Amino acid sequence: MTIGSGTISIAFLLASFYFPLTQVASPTGKSVNQNSRIIQDFDRRLDSYAKLRKRAQAGLPNPKSETSAANVKQYQQSLAQNIRTARPQAKAGDIFTPAISQLFRELIETSIRGNSGNNIRASLRHAEPVHEFPLEVNQEYPQTSAMQSTPPTLLSNLPKLPPDLEYRIVGRGLVLLDTKSNLIVDLLPDALPISQGER
Amino acid sequence: MRSDVFILLSCFVLAGCTARSHPAIYPDSRTASPLLSFATQSVSPTQATSELLLKLPLKAKSVRFAVIGDSGTGRSPQFEVAREMEAYRRIVNFSFVIMLGDNIYGGHSPRDFVKKFEEPYKPMLDAGVKFYASIGNHDSLSERQYNLFNMGGERYYGFKKNDVAFFVLDSSYMDPVQLSWLEKQLRESNAAWKICYFHHPLYSDGKFHGPDLDLRSVLTPLFQKYQVNVVLSGHEHVYERLKPQNNIYYFVLGNSGQLRFNNLRLSSQMEVGFDTDRDFMLVEVDGDNFYFQTITRSGATIDSGILRRQTNPSN
Repeated sequence: MTIGSGTISIAFLLASFYFPLTQVASPTGKSVNQNSRIIQDFDRRLDSYAKLRKRAQAGLPNPKSETSAANVKQYQQSLAQNIRTARPQAKAGDIFTPAISQLFRELIETSIRGNSGNNIRASLRHAEPVHEFPLEVNQEYPQTSAMQSTPPTLLSNLPKLPPDLEYRIVGRGLVLLDTKSNLIVDLLPDALPISQGER
Repeated sequence: MRSDVFILLSCFVLAGCTARSHPAIYPDSRTASPLLSFATQSVSPTQATSELLLKLPLKAKSVRFAVIGDSGTGRSPQFEVAREMEAYRRIVNFSFVIMLGDNIYGGHSPRDFVKKFEEPYKPMLDAGVKFYASIGNHDSLSERQYNLFNMGGERYYGFKKNDVAFFVLDSSYMDPVQLSWLEKQLRESNAAWKICYFHHPLYSDGKFHGPDLDLRSVLTPLFQKYQVNVVLSGHEHVYERLKPQNNIYYFVLGNSGQLRFNNLRLSSQMEVGFDTDRDFMLVEVDGDNFYFQTITRSGATIDSGILRRQTNPSN
């Protein structure tokens, strides 16, 4: 697997957990301590969402790994409704705070401008790009819309997510998607550099 | 007679090669194929009225399956492909079908699952044929829990039939966790044949999408290291068999429901291409041989042959 410069930036971030006193500049320009604090905040917010989802699942019948299409749909809709009820005020930026958003934009740009940049750009162009359309937090990702694939090298350079949460690209934006409920958990507008998003 | 139809279609196709800038089957002559020759047989299905042109040997204890990709439109071409599959199933007796993604286009209501999957393939489902789906960019992740897709609730999974191991990937979200899973499964597999399938092709001469280079950069090192034999993908709404890449056989089949007419460009890596109708593929794996036959909804065989199991696929 190709190791891009974005991977190195994540390595810096991870290293900062183990060597918290070291002040080293990461490829994003911030000190690794600064970046690690931002990532810790991101993880804390994700953890909070994962706990909320667990509570939302509690009242629902245990989903079988395989069931009928009607049961699949019913479970997904019930879970989505429970999550909406549990976070009625949820809005864009609850997880992607300004600091986290800035770090993500830098990580994505570093990946795209790095050694694997050509492959990532080609993937973004060839993967049947999903153009920008209106999205809102707590809304279901429209199932009539295609889901653009997220380039693997880019994924390897972004912070790891809990199970059943995914990063998805829509236009130039990055969507944090709950794949169990098909709900949009948060949005990061202008995540991709302009030259990548404008197709 | 089906064979007559095939001959007529072949003549039509070959005639078209000289008259149009885009021949239906690429390259113009398939006689240069390095495949081993295998006798064609005409067989009579027990309940159908016409003969089918069969290019599989139907050996005892072989693994037989069908392949479809980008199928789930719910429109008449999908039903026509399904009818032809069923006619062949009665002869070939394949017990499972692999799906290369885009299994359900558009909405994903329970009615959509009926209209775009259960109705077209009803005869096969009634006969006990199992379908093993992979996720495409038009699919919903809720499909992983749909019992008739046999995904066990997972985006990616594996299964084995005799000495053939299948690794089913979610190519739209190839995160490090999935890559680690794949490496572990490939490393621990002792199957004679390792077949990977997923939606986005690593090699393709389709004009609309082309290959996914970033996906290729992370998957091919694993395929070569752990001796994957065959890779099948959809996404591009055409049929293409590529010349072996790093000694691995690659197929693209994304036209079992959708079609992107005249969308292939000729290239040096293409072995056979077809972009003027819908099709499906039959496969029979027996010992060291992988027999395949690709058939259109009208019954024309547009590609067939035998692939030898690589003794050292990565080199």
